[in-house]
Amino acid sequence: MRDWALRVENLSKWYGSVVACEDVSLEVGPGEALGIIGESGSGKSTVLRCVAGDVVASSGSVQVRDGAGAVCDLLELTPSQRRHLRVSALSILYQDPSEGLDLNITAGGNIAERLTAAGCRNFAALRSRARELLGRMDVDLGRMDDPVYSFSGGMRQRVQLAKAVANNPSVLLLDEPTTGLDASVAAGVLDLIRGVLEESRVTALVVSHDVSVVSILARRVIVMHQGRVVETGLTDQLLEDPQHPYSQQLVAASRG
Amino acid sequence: MSVEELAEAGATEQFAFLDESSKREIRRALLTAVAVPGYQVPFASREMPVARGWGSGGLQITLAIIGAKDVLKVIDQGDDGGVNAVNLRRLIVSTTGVSWTTDVRDATIVQTRHRVPEEPMRADQILVLQVPVPEPLRGVERDMRELARMHAEADYSRMWVSLYEDLVRNGVITQTTGYPVLVNGRYVLATTPVPRWDVPHFDGSEVLFLFGAGREKRVYAIPPHTRAEPLTFEDVEFQVERTEGAACALCGAPEAYLIEVPGRQAWVCSDTDWCERNRAAPRAARSEAELTETARSQNRA
Amino acid sequence: MPDQEPLLSVRGLRKEYVVHAIGRRVLALDDVDLEVSSGEHVVLIGPSGAGKSTLLRCVWRSCLPSSGEMLLCRADGQVVDLARLSDQEMSEVRDEDLGYVSQFLRSEPRRSVLDVVAKAARRGGMDGTEAVEASKTALSAARVAESLWDTYPVLLSGGEQQRVNLAAGTIRPPRLLLLDEPVSALDACNSEAVLSLVEGIAATGTVVFSIFHDMGVVRRLATRVVCIEEGRIVADGPPADVIARRGAA
Repeated sequence: MRDWALRVENLSKWYGSVVACEDVSLEVGPGEALGIIGESGSGKSTVLRCVAGDVVASSGSVQVRDGAGAVCDLLELTPSQRRHLRVSALSILYQDPSEGLDLNITAGGNIAERLTAAGCRNFAALRSRARELLGRMDVDLGRMDDPVYSFSGGMRQRVQLAKAVANNPSVLLLDEPTTGLDASVAAGVLDLIRGVLEESRVTALVVSHDVSVVSILARRVIVMHQGRVVETGLTDQLLEDPQHPYSQQLVAASRG
Repeated sequence: MSVEELAEAGATEQFAFLDESSKREIRRALLTAVAVPGYQVPFASREMPVARGWGSGGLQITLAIIGAKDVLKVIDQGDDGGVNAVNLRRLIVSTTGVSWTTDVRDATIVQTRHRVPEEPMRADQILVLQVPVPEPLRGVERDMRELARMHAEADYSRMWVSLYEDLVRNGVITQTTGYPVLVNGRYVLATTPVPRWDVPHFDGSEVLFLFGAGREKRVYAIPPHTRAEPLTFEDVEFQVERTEGAACALCGAPEAYLIEVPGRQAWVCSDTDWCERNRAAPRAARSEAELTETARSQNRA
Repeated sequence: MPDQEPLLSVRGLRKEYVVHAIGRRVLALDDVDLEVSSGEHVVLIGPSGAGKSTLLRCVWRSCLPSSGEMLLCRADGQVVDLARLSDQEMSEVRDEDLGYVSQFLRSEPRRSVLDVVAKAARRGGMDGTEAVEASKTALSAARVAESLWDTYPVLLSGGEQQRVNLAAGTIRPPRLLLLDEPVSALDACNSEAVLSLVEGIAATGTVVFSIFHDMGVVRRLATRVVCIEEGRIVADGPPADVIARRGAA
């Protein structure tokens, strides 16, 4: 790909003799969303966590390229540099909102955490930006000062999304963003994510075992099975004409 | 050697209670603290005749730096006559033979729990503060490795969030003692044990401030002419405590840190030395320049 | 026409579906050669299951050819083989040069009519405001009432949905429009509305490559007819001729 914003090459992660993912390579263009599908245990979440830096990869490289063309290998960064990157360049939306939020502080406070980490020291600006983001995510502004533990799962996910995009990251990683939510709640969150991806032109990786989530959010998709990439393609092509035996199984199962 | 002879040998006490190598170690820690303003330097806190939590840290600093020609003042809550202050002073004086005073203008070393003297101090003076809890981030994080990382990376966002939450919940930042300040633009430090009223003293002062926490085994410092900005949002002014219309019942001063007299609707100066001087030389007699200087040093925020 | 480079040139195209779970292989297209040129509206006819849909889907790449090539002449004169493009490149070609409407009315859930068309416009390179304005124009031209623009397509009639799909498929006028039985799920009245829209699109110079089963419609729209049976082309020529020879009921 001429114009990639995120490139993973031969990424592997093993725990002792157990291989979580092996030799995974992928590229995502600027403003593009790439889906990763596969059943539980396929390694897709491991790939995401390695890119995020939550898990230390065993081998391979993860590169990010900015608008000016500067390339950075995420796996070569010190923990301190990676934390710095996570403030405003790369964000992750976790399946479980409590992983990405501090439940004991308010919705506005969670967003303020990101903004102050990026250097904002103006209280009025913090309030107004938090209000803007929470409003954008359809969170009742009257609850902005309520602690997040008092929110339902769907609301927590919206707050997490607001927090994840607070500093306009250039890369957004989504790990099973709607798994665990009720169908109607999930639809709302999905639409929100879809809107965010389109408006902000952020580069995204979307991991889901739910093929329909990926088909709404991502135009290209890769299929993982037992830690390896077995097929890649345009999402509609993969769903209509899967080639690999495992892809065929996965698509058939989701299509019923 | 007989038991009597052994006892004889131990009877001559060290100058200032501590042996020389202990004093040397503490001084080295203090030098590091002064070289890296606001950084909490670990030190091997000794067993002292004063219980932990009663000023053993401040005491070790004073004992490490005091010389035969120094003049000592010890205050507790601004009061030279407090029980804790009296005991500490007695210990230091008896093991050093130094002279002591209640008049801050005559002291070279002032050890304090809970107050900075109202009288502006000079470049030749050192203020030693007794600190119970040196860690400003204790309220937001418990894990020691995480705390070390936060200071090392100047990652104070959790502190800012707690200030945000405080403002949101209470409309003002409610921290009363131990207000966090950013020293030299780098480290956040807890100004425990002083009240907010005294926090402006630390910014760009002529005085060397040394902080000692015996139980937590840390010393830190704010050297002279160093920035010490109270942590607040740029659009939220740092404010000191003020009660409208209150003035000291004894000396009449309104612009000092006042404490309430229990049982009666009255206030008195916390700084007893200062109050006495005001009564001796009535406020009207103090020069305009003195008053302006005092007022300015209170508002230096 | 003859000495001009064809817009689309399909050579030796072969598609075999393999279902691994049951070891089943179905040859859907066998050695298909076909050209579509500027000014044409080529209609594919043939019995059900003959491979017509598969051919269009191969060009759109929602289906992967097993072998052969599909050369497309792009706007800048470059010729690319759609069978060999990377996914990213194919995506670009879809956004800029191609349009595709099938008989299945589906569109993205919970996206309003206006936004469906605007999204296609943005994909084609227009910025936000431009995209919205162009979409409104296109929807008006497709006679989709303004009162419906904020509705979800799933709530509209079949004809309205297809007109929305056509508007989206042609918003950035494609060089080649692929239509896979766009009116087979519609009644006569809705059908007519869609067909006149198609005529209008072809009249603007967009090359159309389509499938219809109603011979009356074929006669009306086609400049050339190609007949496919059992995955092979059996006739290719002027509509009257081909229909007379092969056009079944």
